[in-house]
Amino acid sequence: MFSRRLAFFLVSLIALLLAVVAPAAAQESVTLDFYFPEATANNAQGIFEEYAAQFSEAHPNITINVVYQGSYTDNRTIIQTQTAAGEGPDVAVMLSTDLLSFIEAGTVVPVQQFVDSTEGGADYVADFFDAFLLNSVDENGQLWSIPFQRSTPILYYNADLFSEAGIEAAPANRDELVAAATALTAEGRSGLWFPSEGFPIWLFTAFQIAGGEPLVAERFDQVFFNTTATAEGLQYLLDLSKVHQVMPEGALSWGDGPTIFASGQAAMLVHTTGSLTRILSEAPFEVGTAFLPFGPAGEDGTGYGAPTGGGNLYIFANSSPEEQAAAWEWVQFLSSPEIQADWTARTGYIAARESAWATDTLTALVAEKPQYAVARDQLAFAGKEFTAFRSIDIQNVINTTLSSVIAGDVTDIPAALEAAQAQIDSLLAE
Amino acid sequence: MQAALPVTNRSVSPARKPWSQRLLPYLMIAPTFLIVFLFTLKPAVSAVIDSTLKPARLAQDPPAFVGLQNYADLFNPTHHLGARFGGILLNTVLFAFGTVAIGMPLALGFALLINRRLPLRGVWRFGFVYPSLLPLIGAASIWAFIYADQVGLLAAILRAANPNWLGSPGLVLGAVIVVNVWSQTGYYMLLFLAGLQGIPRDLYEAAALDGANYWQQLLRLTLPLLRRTTLFVLTVSFTFAFQAVELLQGLTEGGPGDRSNLILYFIYQNIGERRNWGHINAITIILAVIVLVFTLSSFLFFERGGRESER
Repeated sequence: MFSRRLAFFLVSLIALLLAVVAPAAAQESVTLDFYFPEATANNAQGIFEEYAAQFSEAHPNITINVVYQGSYTDNRTIIQTQTAAGEGPDVAVMLSTDLLSFIEAGTVVPVQQFVDSTEGGADYVADFFDAFLLNSVDENGQLWSIPFQRSTPILYYNADLFSEAGIEAAPANRDELVAAATALTAEGRSGLWFPSEGFPIWLFTAFQIAGGEPLVAERFDQVFFNTTATAEGLQYLLDLSKVHQVMPEGALSWGDGPTIFASGQAAMLVHTTGSLTRILSEAPFEVGTAFLPFGPAGEDGTGYGAPTGGGNLYIFANSSPEEQAAAWEWVQFLSSPEIQADWTARTGYIAARESAWATDTLTALVAEKPQYAVARDQLAFAGKEFTAFRSIDIQNVINTTLSSVIAGDVTDIPAALEAAQAQIDSLLAE
Repeated sequence: MQAALPVTNRSVSPARKPWSQRLLPYLMIAPTFLIVFLFTLKPAVSAVIDSTLKPARLAQDPPAFVGLQNYADLFNPTHHLGARFGGILLNTVLFAFGTVAIGMPLALGFALLINRRLPLRGVWRFGFVYPSLLPLIGAASIWAFIYADQVGLLAAILRAANPNWLGSPGLVLGAVIVVNVWSQTGYYMLLFLAGLQGIPRDLYEAAALDGANYWQQLLRLTLPLLRRTTLFVLTVSFTFAFQAVELLQGLTEGGPGDRSNLILYFIYQNIGERRNWGHINAITIILAVIVLVFTLSSFLFFERGGRESER
């Protein structure tokens, strides 16, 4: 009788232990949904799957489910919709400028907490280029996301045509740019290709940064769009087509830009550094890269200035603490110097950490193709990419206004800027 | 259970069937009703309710009731959505009427041609129908290559005379309409073809005996008898035109400016910001009302006209 009871007791105890332990054991293996967008023609899916396999070797309990979600906009819309329904990814690459919208929506968690609890966290953060961290913090300086596929627009030029035309150095200010473009324009070839369809705001910010008039206040609560820098920049772009005739009229394609440049139909191109690898492999001529020269000549004769751009790594609020911890491991892996260096070599994005540039991969690459170092060195002149409260709406206002003016649909520039500024102000006042 | 109940013949009168029998029809429509309720009625009602709300700045705070303010904002040119909505609404109407005005006669013409004994009829039929079998995003990619500035197909043919199709404010909407017509005409042609083959042949024989020529037969016989098909094609093509979004994604993203932007794509552009959701729902209601009004009026017009001509 007693032994039966004991047996029953023991069996119950084992069952109870199993019930407690089994889920815990199951929880140790975590699957993370990792969403990423693609804005350049690289095989990101393939590269990420390689990284995920490498990562899982070191972390056998974490599986990364790599999911391509289209353009940055598609990716953001999908994530916004899914997270509103309590679903969505555990970790994702999204525009660094989407930060404030996602904070207000309560979608993401600050990575500051993970940095603080990680050994050497402060050194890890300090290793990133300052220009890239500008778009990773909120108005109080708290760190929310980690720079990953960061970029900046640069000037690509056809070095063969430069030699033919006797141009010795890349243009360093806006007047030299016009002069070079004029010399390079020929039958069937534009001197310059400045894409203006889709999201003109990004490239256009170069005018504001080079002109020394910031587009956004430090605390993201004020936007200065109706300024001299904007009006002059717009007039400059219009003059390129209408007065100097070095560029076709209308909104120019972003996606076809690299093809048009590589096929010799444009002598210079303004594009993201993320297209560098592709352009170098497609162009049958020597490709030069240079800092964006959209500012007026300063005392040293240069007018450099460019925004940063690209995507950061975000961790999501809908995930469990275990998933967030695993996501943080994956974020650290993707931002490690080795992976950052490899990603740069394969895409042209700028490795966001200084130590990545000391790896064998990148020292060898820069020695062989110095074009890769230009974007990194331009960071000294780089400003923050546009972001503000109501960022998506304000970007829509600015993009529509810039696009209408550049395409020639709206000719009264002061009135257009004033109307846009009024809409922006009332958005920020809400 | 039933056996335990006192059953008298008085309780089962022909007028009052037992509750189980009265419940049966409701049980039978229940699955359908559930689906319609969950996926049509409930979303429609929530859209109406949400269109009167304004989301708070922080997602965890409750939205505020603002009545019809969201609708008023859409027609206020100083509002960030209102400044664009009017032009986009006009584009959408132009796009819909443009597509219908070009696509319907083409579809009817093709159907009349294919309906005759042509050499290589199968090839023609396939040629006309195949664009409508392509996913729209695929069609958009093909045409993005055709229209591409400098490096596209038209640029290779027209060379210096090639305009910047998708980058010029005056051309872009027309260019997108052409793609829409190209991708949908084949489908409408099939519908017309089915309508044509439903017309009894002896009517034409009788008309021919009466001495009616081809054009008289077309105008007096074929077109009136295709009335129902025409109504259907008109409604479907108009509704599709209001739902167009993939073409813009692949071709223009609504630009330059908003010159090729359409309502549904506009919704897509602005849905990323949670605080626009009240306005987004208002736009959805407006879109639904326009499509409803159009469908009803064309239905009344064609159906009433149809009955009168049949008398």
